[in-house]
Amino acid sequence: MRILLVEDDRMLGDGLQAGLTQAGYAVDWLRDGEAAVAALSTETFAAVVLDLGLPKRDGLSVLQWLRGRHDATPVLILTARDQLEDKVRGLDLGADDYVLKPFDLDEIAARLRALVRRAHGRPEPVLALGEIELNPAARTVARSGLPVELTPREFDLLHLLLENADRVLTRRTLEEQLYTWNDAVDSNALEVHIHHLRRKLGSELIRTVRGVGYIASATPPQP
Amino acid sequence: MSGTPAYSLRRRLVWLLTSAVAAIWLLSAWVVYQRAHDEADALFDAQLTQVADTLLAIVAGGEIEDVVEELHEHRRSDSVPIAFEVWHRKHGQMQRLVTSARHGEFGSAVTPGFSEHPYQGGRWRFYAVQDADAEYQVVVGQAHASREGLAREIGLSLLIPALLALPLMALAVWWGVGRSLRPVNTLARQVGALDAQALTPLDESLALPNEIAPLRAALNALIRRITEAFENERRFTADAAHELRTPLAALKIQAQVAQRAQTTDSRQHALTQVIAGVDRMTHLVEQLLTLARVDPASQGSAPLPLDPAGIVASVCAELQPQAERHAQSLTVEAAEGCSIAVTATWLQIALRNLVDNALRYAGEGARIEVRLACSGPACTLSVADDGPGVAPDLRSQLSARFVRGEVESEGCGLGLSIVARIATLSHAEFELGDGLPRADGGHGLAATLRFSAAKLAKSPAG
Repeated sequence: MRILLVEDDRMLGDGLQAGLTQAGYAVDWLRDGEAAVAALSTETFAAVVLDLGLPKRDGLSVLQWLRGRHDATPVLILTARDQLEDKVRGLDLGADDYVLKPFDLDEIAARLRALVRRAHGRPEPVLALGEIELNPAARTVARSGLPVELTPREFDLLHLLLENADRVLTRRTLEEQLYTWNDAVDSNALEVHIHHLRRKLGSELIRTVRGVGYIASATPPQP
Repeated sequence: MSGTPAYSLRRRLVWLLTSAVAAIWLLSAWVVYQRAHDEADALFDAQLTQVADTLLAIVAGGEIEDVVEELHEHRRSDSVPIAFEVWHRKHGQMQRLVTSARHGEFGSAVTPGFSEHPYQGGRWRFYAVQDADAEYQVVVGQAHASREGLAREIGLSLLIPALLALPLMALAVWWGVGRSLRPVNTLARQVGALDAQALTPLDESLALPNEIAPLRAALNALIRRITEAFENERRFTADAAHELRTPLAALKIQAQVAQRAQTTDSRQHALTQVIAGVDRMTHLVEQLLTLARVDPASQGSAPLPLDPAGIVASVCAELQPQAERHAQSLTVEAAEGCSIAVTATWLQIALRNLVDNALRYAGEGARIEVRLACSGPACTLSVADDGPGVAPDLRSQLSARFVRGEVESEGCGLGLSIVARIATLSHAEFELGDGLPRADGGHGLAATLRFSAAKLAKSPAG
């Protein structure tokens, strides 16, 4: 799950990037509003963690710009300002959630999970498809109730596919959502992860749509 | 209670106006009395002349023997306020022929024409006239008191109604002043109703007399200034909270990352960040305390003139190790013999902040020059570097609290606001300009403090 972190404070940004990476997110970190706008206009993120006091372009202005182009990417705002009017303004401008500094790493991770879940219109925290169940909070996967061991990358890929069940995801989308700009992406790494997932979870779950990408579905179409 | 005793504007106005009017009326009554006196003189003199001439005509016409009887009747009747004597020359001697005897004799001192003499215990005015042969002389006289009585009567007839009207006028003034001062009471009520926590300017749409409108305008200007100061403080608190919360958030997150780190490297990295975070918060807290300490109240008496050269040298020496850590060259050129009136600790704080800023923002290997120069009445202290500099349009914002440059740094954004505050309190000018030239043709940043030289108490020797 790839998220965009926009935070100008070097130490806090560094900590959030490390902490959210530990929590299983692919985190891209930018330090000013202009760069955030540039990134958001070309790429897709599962969520944005946005500080308000940013150089070059204020956080609220970035938010306004994002909502102005009908981009519904969930936005979690980080702020040091606890005045009610600040909160109200942020939420009115289209923020999905609001966290006051200083905050807890687990809290940020949990709120991000909830935001992503809600963005997909899914009220329950656990993803299920056929006999597969995926718990994003615990980062566990079970097949017919039995736990399955996955690597972090395999888990994130499965999470993406289940989150978008019955929809075709292009290679590019998958890569964009899985890797940050800093990750060196092997040209066939995605195939390798898909291969491992099929081996661990059964070959029917993920199908290849030739020339396009991959789709996860519970009932494979009859030949 | 203040030194001057409280007084009522209304009572004072009533008192002043009533006494002024009373004085003017008294004066005019006196003038009227004088005029009336003059008029009465002319009137009574004409009467005297007329009576004398008539008497003389009668006497000279030889009918004197007939008249004497009649005159005696007159004398008895006492109705004529005019006394008279008729004299006749017989054998070369003037003899009193007839007199209004009730008054007694006038005496022989009366000369022809008008004259005044004491008579019967008062002042009298006489008129004497003789016939053409100087055979008969008629003297008429009248007491002065009667004409003064008339003048007094005229004067009083003007003064008495005026004096009776005085209390009425005082009442009218009392009422008029009270009514005119009503806007003052309204204004006082409005000011009294102001909420100290949320000051709002007074309603300017309400009509006020020209004399009181400036008071409201001044009050509103004051209210706006206070509100602005409040707003500044509120913003400062919010900014300070932000500045404290962000490093706190960073500390907490880095600590949690360290706690969960899977590898030694990442744990070490996070712990290093935690330590740097504590250093940073320490710096921020120190700067906040410094800003709080740079307070006019803490300055005490006016600073004495001092030569800043020693302070410049010691501050730069103190920061030299920091410069060396970043391979920066810090050079000082301090002219001696300058004299400025500034609090020594404030000058130290200002210079330390300027040099510290240059060291923080100019980057590795930068050149920093501190220069103290005096020319005529001005003393200039500047810190120039050949770092990345600041765009001219951004320079003015840098002195605001918690504003940092575009360059990333661990600074807390308070340094220049501290310097700006010290400059204001020390009556010095503070400005940011082009610094030392860089190899690429650009300029670094220069911060300049311009003090006006203190007037040294000249010693007799020179």
